[in-house]
Amino acid sequence: MFKELNPLLHSELRLGIMSILISVEEADFVYIREKTGATAGNISVQIEKLSEAGYIEINKGFLGKRTRTVCKITQKGVNAFEEYVEALKSYLDIKGR
Amino acid sequence: MEEKNLTEKASLELISQMITNSRRKLEDGNGIPFLIWGYATFFVSLLVYYFVNATGDYHYNILWFLIPVIGSIGMFISEKSRAKHAGHVRNYIERVIGNIWLVIGIAALLTSVGASFVRFPVLPLMLLLLGIGTTITGLTIKFKPVIISGFIGMASCVVPFVLEGNGQILVFGVVCLIMMVIPGHILNYQGRKRHV
Repeated sequence: MFKELNPLLHSELRLGIMSILISVEEADFVYIREKTGATAGNISVQIEKLSEAGYIEINKGFLGKRTRTVCKITQKGVNAFEEYVEALKSYLDIKGR
Repeated sequence: MEEKNLTEKASLELISQMITNSRRKLEDGNGIPFLIWGYATFFVSLLVYYFVNATGDYHYNILWFLIPVIGSIGMFISEKSRAKHAGHVRNYIERVIGNIWLVIGIAALLTSVGASFVRFPVLPLMLLLLGIGTTITGLTIKFKPVIISGFIGMASCVVPFVLEGNGQILVFGVVCLIMMVIPGHILNYQGRKRHV
């Protein structure tokens, strides 16, 4: 039986952002932009969506005179990510291998 | 990368690629803290040796406290310039290593302050502390030169016990050079090689 894929994570950019954040403690906006190659506007919209779902925490601060947005995955985000990967496995029939 | 839906296979590939990319960042620039603290310790050792030897006045041992001052300023400048040139990211291993050195740093500072009041062989204890920190760092990042140099540092803690007089200050400086500066340069060299 196929598990349903979380639509919030089943999008290229949001999944990319979540994959970065699950492998690090925290990352700022510039790092996410470097790694995903997406535009700043697009990333802003997507991290806002992830934050509204409670999957990530966004902290805005300052680095010298510039603003710095630091993102961090939450436990809810980790759970959602793990469920998503489990669902993917059921689609690809690699579960239990 | 855009906001579009993916096939299941593409999802897995994307997850794997992003995790691998973030992992690579882990080793980059790891040599800098070793170089900052290693060189600071080495040059301050030379300074203390020179003044204590030339004047015979042990009050010049206060100069040892230049190490945390120089080290902290160096780390602050290095962190600031790193954050300016590239995106900021902190991973779990960096946090663990940061905490190890925070504890070692506090222990070293407390020991040094204690040694200002009561005379005891502080240099061997420092070598042992720095050696422990270096070895754990090496084991955590799985980098042999750092593990080996850390063990050399720990083993060297017996030398100042054996050695009489001010010569142990020089030995301390040279051991720090071997234990921190050399692996620091090797780490940076490896980091540069990965980017070529």
